Amino acid sequence: MADKEANIYIVDVGASTAECHNGRIESDLEYGMKYVWEKIGLALQANRKGLGLGVIALRHDETKVDLEDVEGYENIAVLKDLGPIEMSHLKDLQKKIVPSSTDFGDALSAMILAVHMIENFTQLKTGKPGKYKQKRVVLVTNGQGPMDGNDLDSLAEKVNELEIELIVVGIDFDDLEYGFKEEDKPSNKRRNEKVLKVLVESCKGGKFATMAEVLESFAEPEVKVPRPYCNYRGRLSLGDYNKYADTAAYIDVVRYFKTHQARPPGASSFVNKTSVSNGEASGQDTEMTDAPDLSAVKNSTTYKIFDPSAPGGKRDINREELSKAYCYGSTAVPISASEENVTKLETVQSFEIIGFIHNDKYDRYLNMGECNITVAQNVNDKAKMALSSLIHALHELDSYAVARIVTKDGKDPQLLVMAPSFENGVEALLDVPLPFAEDVRTHSFPPLDRVITISGATMKKHRNLPNEDLVKSMSDYVDSMDLSTFGTDENGQPTEYMTIEETYMPGLHRINQAIRTRAVQPDKPIEDPPEVLVKWSHPPSELAKKSAPKLQKLVEAADVKKVADKVRGKRTRDQIKPLSGLDVNSLLNSQKPRAARKITMANSIPDFKQLLEATVSSSEILELVTQMAEVIYKMVANTLTDGSFDIVTANMRVLRSQMMDLEMPEIYNDFIRAFKQKLIAGELFENNFASNERELWFRVKSKRLGLIDKEVSEHSDISKEEAAQFYVLSTELPSRAK
Amino acid sequence: MAEGNESWKNKDDQEEDEEDVDETAYTTQKDAVLFAIEVSESMLAPPPHSDSKKSETDSATAAAIKCAYQIMQQRIISHPKDKMGVLLFGTEKSKFEERDDNDNGNVTYPHCYLLTDLTVPSAADVKALKAIVEDEDEAQSLLKPSEEPVDMPNLLFCANQIFTRGAPDFASRRLFIITDKDDPHSANKALRSSATVRAKDLYDLGVTIELFPISHPDHKFDRTKFYDDIIYRDPADDGGDLATAPRDFKSAGGDGISLLNDLISDINSKQFTKRALFSNMKFEIGPEFQISVKGYNLLQPAKPAKQDWVYQGGETNQIVKPESARLNDDDTKPVEKDEIKKAYKFGGTQILFTSEEQEKLRSFGKPGIRIIGFKPQSMLPFWASVKKSTFIYPSEEGFVGSSRVFSALWQKLVKNKIMGLAWFIARQNSSPTIVAILPSEERLSENTGLQLNPAGLWLYPLPFADDIREAPDQLTQVFSPDNLTNEMRTVIKQLQLPKGIYDPSKYPNPSLQWHYKILQAIALEEDIPETPEDKTVPKYRQVEKRAGEYIHNWGQLLEEATNVYRKEHGSGAKHERADSDGPVKKKVKTEGLDNVGDDELKKIISTGKLAKHTVAELKDLLAAKGLSNSGRKPDLIERIEQWADEN
Repeated sequence: MADKEANIYIVDVGASTAECHNGRIESDLEYGMKYVWEKIGLALQANRKGLGLGVIALRHDETKVDLEDVEGYENIAVLKDLGPIEMSHLKDLQKKIVPSSTDFGDALSAMILAVHMIENFTQLKTGKPGKYKQKRVVLVTNGQGPMDGNDLDSLAEKVNELEIELIVVGIDFDDLEYGFKEEDKPSNKRRNEKVLKVLVESCKGGKFATMAEVLESFAEPEVKVPRPYCNYRGRLSLGDYNKYADTAAYIDVVRYFKTHQARPPGASSFVNKTSVSNGEASGQDTEMTDAPDLSAVKNSTTYKIFDPSAPGGKRDINREELSKAYCYGSTAVPISASEENVTKLETVQSFEIIGFIHNDKYDRYLNMGECNITVAQNVNDKAKMALSSLIHALHELDSYAVARIVTKDGKDPQLLVMAPSFENGVEALLDVPLPFAEDVRTHSFPPLDRVITISGATMKKHRNLPNEDLVKSMSDYVDSMDLSTFGTDENGQPTEYMTIEETYMPGLHRINQAIRTRAVQPDKPIEDPPEVLVKWSHPPSELAKKSAPKLQKLVEAADVKKVADKVRGKRTRDQIKPLSGLDVNSLLNSQKPRAARKITMANSIPDFKQLLEATVSSSEILELVTQMAEVIYKMVANTLTDGSFDIVTANMRVLRSQMMDLEMPEIYNDFIRAFKQKLIAGELFENNFASNERELWFRVKSKRLGLIDKEVSEHSDISKEEAAQFYVLSTELPSRAK
Repeated sequence: MAEGNESWKNKDDQEEDEEDVDETAYTTQKDAVLFAIEVSESMLAPPPHSDSKKSETDSATAAAIKCAYQIMQQRIISHPKDKMGVLLFGTEKSKFEERDDNDNGNVTYPHCYLLTDLTVPSAADVKALKAIVEDEDEAQSLLKPSEEPVDMPNLLFCANQIFTRGAPDFASRRLFIITDKDDPHSANKALRSSATVRAKDLYDLGVTIELFPISHPDHKFDRTKFYDDIIYRDPADDGGDLATAPRDFKSAGGDGISLLNDLISDINSKQFTKRALFSNMKFEIGPEFQISVKGYNLLQPAKPAKQDWVYQGGETNQIVKPESARLNDDDTKPVEKDEIKKAYKFGGTQILFTSEEQEKLRSFGKPGIRIIGFKPQSMLPFWASVKKSTFIYPSEEGFVGSSRVFSALWQKLVKNKIMGLAWFIARQNSSPTIVAILPSEERLSENTGLQLNPAGLWLYPLPFADDIREAPDQLTQVFSPDNLTNEMRTVIKQLQLPKGIYDPSKYPNPSLQWHYKILQAIALEEDIPETPEDKTVPKYRQVEKRAGEYIHNWGQLLEEATNVYRKEHGSGAKHERADSDGPVKKKVKTEGLDNVGDDELKKIISTGKLAKHTVAELKDLLAAKGLSNSGRKPDLIERIEQWADEN
């Protein structure tokens, strides 16, 4: 259904294209192919059946034309017939597109051939022309071949008749508008340029460009424009028109996406076909493959139930033996197949206005998602007029409508806020989804313009509040960084800087571009993101420079100090006191001397923390950690077969974070190594089940309780890789009993 | 067809697209709350008599239990994974967990009655609470105060053990104490200091105490007497609960609000810990000038919990968690995570990247918010909306002085109605977005004084050029005449929502509520309600009452105006056709066939225009004539022609 296209690229591969010109170190052909490969890459990426693409080589060593009479078409070869393109074609083309050893071959003949091919291709079986969004012939040449410029008119006529866009992209062609002129141009090239220009100008959709400009324009990412998508067609109603036919109203409308988040392409998972040597990186991943040595990864789901009689306490069960259920708290409520929809709210398609609000009382940050646009149905004057009156009235009253929509029978209702819009001369209602009561989390935060103390007093002056100087310099700085008139429009007038239309999704375009590049040049390493994608990552340098003095003042007034890394954590330790400021620690120590206290199972975490606070020597710390380790081992042993390891991991987490705070990661690392050792040796559990051990290790792994590495604590000597490797428990345990 | 286009997203692709979620985020997601409700003579005393119609009937303890009951039901919906427990203290009876632990035997804590163990509440838990709330006898037997004075260290250690066993490794654990006794150990110094030590234990365990003090008409609760010694505030929490001055609750109810509602609204505002989405995030106000902020997810679409699988073959229903494994499609051997390579579909093949390359492709720099500049808020088009915003609030953890700078920026944005624009990378390797920075002003509830809306800044994600969809073609515009617009203005004025604002709290999600209402009824073995309560449905009667007359007028004006318009421009359909030689080359619009008489139909056939009708129209016609409407278009046309011949 997508719009169909038929595009032919005519590539000049004449012997002269092997030369390098104008200081480039790549040949003319390589230079020109940058453009063609990118175009082919884009077509491959679009992956649409209706996207026809053909490639013709001009000034080729061979003649390969599907015509009865090849006279006049010598040295022209169709390398790829017009039709959908696949990766195999690309591989094939890459092999075939190399500079030839001839300079013969007429570009105009190639164009005639291309037009002929398009005509045949786009024709329906009935002989009528098919509907195409785009028909295009692109000639890429260095303009140095012989050319018979006699029959330009008939070619142009045919091109216009078929509504083909004829585009000539010339390597080092003169383009005064763009500002390029080649010095010492060979005379035949000058003549050819002139002929081609005349031809292009006599074609309606003709374009004539120099390669440099075209390549430059590639920096601007191509935005995919999907067709308008209608998600609601029906009535927009005010009141209940079924019940109050006379005093309620409805308008026939259609609703379309106005914004819809574009997503980067998703990757699928693969593994090497012959799983060589337990998962070691084979070092060939970078190679682009046709995927013969890859096999897909599929997800398989198994269901297990607790069964004390089964080995490991669990047994597999078929999905057929299970029924669907919803959870009400921790209670599973089975729902039989027949009443599957019992909890579903029955709804019918509808779009109803609930009421109206003032537009300045709507907080934009409540928007929950994408915008839609609603217009009256076409060919319905009454609906158009009715909607127009609503739109104008809303506009005049500075109001928004609040509405409830059910886009299809059975879909969940959604609340919307609707605003009038007159953009591009189209009257419409725009809407964005509103949050429901359950979607808003109320958390209180201290106000930003005053400080309330614990006792409830309000203060207007406080170190957390800006003084007048800071308020003033912030205001000046913000004003100096105004973007609303920083841009320049076509007429050189100041205009808004960085409009939404100029911003491209970096994640999306970067990955798409990388995929295309890799497809064409498998060996090329990943490059930094192109400039256009990071253009908005910093304030415009000109503006920043201008406002630097204001910023300087702001910085001085703000007097912000970076918190030194080391102080963190420790600093808060000293401050642990209840609201009253009572010194509980000394109270604690006065009750019982430290040496007499031990870590108890029941109160292990507070005991450990409190004892640790009272320690002075590292031997005391070591002794405490040993105690804690014993507690942890005992907790593991006490864990029931179907119990959770949360108590264990909670204690390990405390141990780990305390050692990090004390900057003694090696103590924890020693512990966790010993822990893993015991686990593998099967010393942790009394009744030994491999599944239990795997489960425990899985918990340790998922809660990131492994080795403390350098990145986390500068006092560690463990590398990130080593820490990651530590989590692997692959072959050391017998595999799970089935 | 069109719909197919949109939903056409390869399932595999989608599930592979997950960004690596940090596992630690998982633990921080869970929250456990234990209610500790005091049972004593004064807590059980009925409220003093009042003439007010809304006068209080519940004792403080009863109100607190009711409150717990309601909160429990709410949490099941809003936070189905979180745990909750209810502990009564000062009761004559004592009860602790019923688990048979090998080393602890039958531990009980005197005069502590664990009404609901700290777990994800089950239907039985809800039922048990309900029984006490609704059944006088049940309540009476349980709510009997002990003769002995309350023992706080005992209570605190009991709570400690409940948390240690019931919710280990929960990032957020809170103890809500509801009491009217502000100085439980005035006479016993040893118990008092022992309580402070036990409170310190709780703090070290990671349990926060929230106090809900109840004042009686003759006694105002004084926190400084005892509770300030056992309550801690994390200095890293940036003041957190200092937002509004500490409150106490009046047993007599005052200001027309019952103690119950007062408690519920206050607990509601505190029951979920603020879960920072990110903390110590660099917020670059200008080049080389940074402060630190925290981010919060204050908006989150609530959805029903996913469907589970349950095994009904055993003695009790057992929830079965599916375990998924990744297998090699060729030999169905399990695949380790680090063996997996990611490949993109491209032109019928796969394009591979190593995981390092993947990482590099995703990397646009370190996480942070960097201001690019400022614009008036009016430059934010209404349609520029793609997803929910994130709330940010200053934190001193990275830079001392962040709060005052943030406040200065906030004040400026509020005052001049300006927005910041920033480049925002939320996490390591997450794709950058461009956000508008919008200020929000503090709003307090008129009734309770509680904060409804915090002051701060919001990171409002802007769409990219790639997110903008093309609008549909609008063939012709028809403009409303002034009198019609004026009538609509009256309608709009008549149908203002209260205070002219949208207040989300007035609109619970009907699907979600219905889902849980049904579930609750099934789970508690109650009657299944028949009609859902849906507050999002417009109030038709009010619309009728307030604006019916004007809507009627508007309808008549519309009729007239349309007639006038049609006279001037010809009838709608014709008009479209006449106009359509412009850019509009859509298919020639045909009138449907449903109202076509037999003669007319014959005429259509004879002029060969039948083929211009759509298959759907032809099928409708055939169906109307009682003929088979299957087959391809030529078959349909033939069948119609045949019918016309015969009739």
